[in-house]
Amino acid sequence: MKEVMLDCFGEACPIPLVKAEKKLKELDIGDILIVQIDHSCAMKNVPEWAMKEGHNVEVEEVNDGEWEVIIEKVK
Amino acid sequence: MIIYYDFYFAKFVCQKDDLYPYFLVIRLNGGSTLEKLNARMVKITNHETYKRWLKTAWPYVTGAVLLSLFQIVTLATTGSPWGVSGAFANWGAWIYEAFGGSVDKWYYFSSEGAQATLNNGVLNNPDSWRNIGIIAGSLISVLLASQFKIKKIKSFRQVIAAVVGGLLMGYGARIAYGCNIGALFGGIASLSLSGWVFAIFMFAGAVIGSKLLVKFFM
Repeated sequence: MKEVMLDCFGEACPIPLVKAEKKLKELDIGDILIVQIDHSCAMKNVPEWAMKEGHNVEVEEVNDGEWEVIIEKVK
Repeated sequence: MIIYYDFYFAKFVCQKDDLYPYFLVIRLNGGSTLEKLNARMVKITNHETYKRWLKTAWPYVTGAVLLSLFQIVTLATTGSPWGVSGAFANWGAWIYEAFGGSVDKWYYFSSEGAQATLNNGVLNNPDSWRNIGIIAGSLISVLLASQFKIKKIKSFRQVIAAVVGGLLMGYGARIAYGCNIGALFGGIASLSLSGWVFAIFMFAGAVIGSKLLVKFFM
């Protein structure tokens, strides 16, 4: 099980979502992807997509206007 | 019964290393006197009311209903439908005139209405006020949610994309006599066919734009 950081700071929608989709495909089941974002609409669409795909998702506000979307790949 | 009285911004307390605003919550037990007041400090950022109204994004439906209501108010009070990008063209003209230029002969500004708007100035232009309101409102909402951040420019490609995209959108909006607000939102709200035509081509443009984005920005 590994943990991968995906730096999407400074990227506007929908780039964080597309990058997260791409990165998660490369990972194995049980791996954790942490998407770092500072665009509030990515805070909505990245978790929504990951939950719809059936992964475990958690959003953490790490700083003013900065979030980490933590996705555990389950399938 | 326990009643919570929230005194917003009643008290600000600074902790050693963080400046989170605290506010006073006074707990009144039923029928109690002032002596029985049990005051305690609650971090404002943990309060339900704060979280629901200021911190968390409102649902899309709430936004849609509010936008619809306010565009009706706009039409009723100013006599013209809600528009955003048209005001920017006027701002451009005012800036150009401030440097001694003249747009009187320009086709876009040649109509009587356009001339009247320019002569009345920015302070008498409802669209300009509204645009300033949008910018100020966005700033206030993001500050209240403590989500303000000055974002770094990641690459030169981002700069090019922003400038080219902005120019294309601005040019397109003026050529089409409206942007996604004036032409699309206002058009559809006024039961005009042009709004729907605009929607179809905007959707097509968005599809092409998304493909280009994935190709050049990934």
